[in-house]
Amino acid sequence: MNDMTHKGLGLATQTAKISASGVQVHYGTNHALKDVDVTILDRTVTAFIGPSGCGKSTFLRCLNRMNDTVASCRVSGQILLEGEDIYDRRVDPVQLRAKVGMVFQKPNPFPKSIYDNVAYGPKIHGMTRNKAELDAIVEASLRKAALWGEVKDRLDATGTGLSGGQQQRLCIARAIATSPEVLLMDEPCSALDPIATAQVEELIDELRHQFSVVIVTHSMQQAARVSQKTAFFHLGNLVEFGETGDIFTNPKDPRTEAYITGRIG
Amino acid sequence: MSDSESHIVSSFDRDLEALQAHLLRMGGLVEAALVNAAKALEAQDLPAADSVIIGDKAVDALEEFIQTEAASLIARRAPTASDLRLVLAVMRAAHSLERVGDYAKNVAKRTRVIGRSAPVDGHAGTIRRMSVMVAKMLEDAQLALVRKDASLAAAVRARDVEIDQMYNTLFRSLFTYMMESAGSIGPSMHLHFIAKNIERAGDHATTIAEQAIYLATGSRPSEERVKGDSTSATA
Repeated sequence: MNDMTHKGLGLATQTAKISASGVQVHYGTNHALKDVDVTILDRTVTAFIGPSGCGKSTFLRCLNRMNDTVASCRVSGQILLEGEDIYDRRVDPVQLRAKVGMVFQKPNPFPKSIYDNVAYGPKIHGMTRNKAELDAIVEASLRKAALWGEVKDRLDATGTGLSGGQQQRLCIARAIATSPEVLLMDEPCSALDPIATAQVEELIDELRHQFSVVIVTHSMQQAARVSQKTAFFHLGNLVEFGETGDIFTNPKDPRTEAYITGRIG
Repeated sequence: MSDSESHIVSSFDRDLEALQAHLLRMGGLVEAALVNAAKALEAQDLPAADSVIIGDKAVDALEEFIQTEAASLIARRAPTASDLRLVLAVMRAAHSLERVGDYAKNVAKRTRVIGRSAPVDGHAGTIRRMSVMVAKMLEDAQLALVRKDASLAAAVRARDVEIDQMYNTLFRSLFTYMMESAGSIGPSMHLHFIAKNIERAGDHATTIAEQAIYLATGSRPSEERVKGDSTSATA
């Protein structure tokens, strides 16, 4: 998954999907994120690691303006998605979130049928003209999320009745149904058992052929397994950003070294 | 630097320290075996040569133990960064030391059959001095590794050229003996293999030093090492 032997190969030709520069976030008087510059490449899994409160989830939430819902939150700096400023006043956050999808820590399917969970996004964004097109999107999304085989005979069953791992893959299917360009994942496996975790990790590796994936994880082994690029955050600073293989064998910054080897919490 | 800091999980530190302690213990046995084999040759002390041969079993057992412990540590702790490089360096160093143990054993085996002769009397002293120098290189290479001292490791690497030069001198001298007297070919061939064994042990000391540099800096030394062994070009 890591492509350690192909380090650098192909990456040079990959284009930037998201370019963030000078991003600062304040929650009231708390300076949560300090001057972060980072480039998220297309068709690449980028992992954000760091101790609790380091700013990694805050930064992730900046990427689809989830922080807009927090009254005390102020975001400054620039975040470009394909060259367009996502904090521009003309940008509709709802439209933005169709392009930058999100999967959360706890699986949170709607209390609706499996079918409706996946169909919801395409419906509200008016992506289909008829039932046949919608059926096709639902099937394609469930297939991409590696869930189709398990649910195709019970699409009318309620989504919340699935197992934890299946619910999380349903949420991933829901997120990719709107054909996003970027998929944000905030600790998507922390509530899952090792088998379900492995299935989601396998899925992440599949998804990166189509999407740019950004994952926040507390499991350093998971970051090492699934990502090609890793960013280490500490006390609101982006300390180090580089090839995952390099970060885990030969980090440049002593703070990265101390964190990944288990010397600071 | 974080190297001086302890892990939050203190048993992780203890595992890493134990691994290094076992390596140093193995190194001590191997250094002694190399010097004792050369001394046994010089003194024609066959019981001492026998002890070196028997002692190699303990070296092999320690290597097996270190590799097993290192594999277990990787499986249980999933070490990263300098911890990972330490485990990898110890595994490779243990492998090098095991090879040096075999060379010492081979010197002892040849000592048992070579007997006293003019070539032996003329070269055993040089071979002993060479073994002492290599043993010191091995010791310093291990110290450089456990101290993560790249400059000490670089110094060890540089010293190998002296070993190569000593080997060249022995090679030419033994060559002359063999050309002058067919009767000296037997012992001279054995002495040549003995000298070559010790020269190879010196190469393993530089390998361990290179592991120490990898551990300390994260990359292997880039510049080509000066090689003093010119015998492969000798006709």
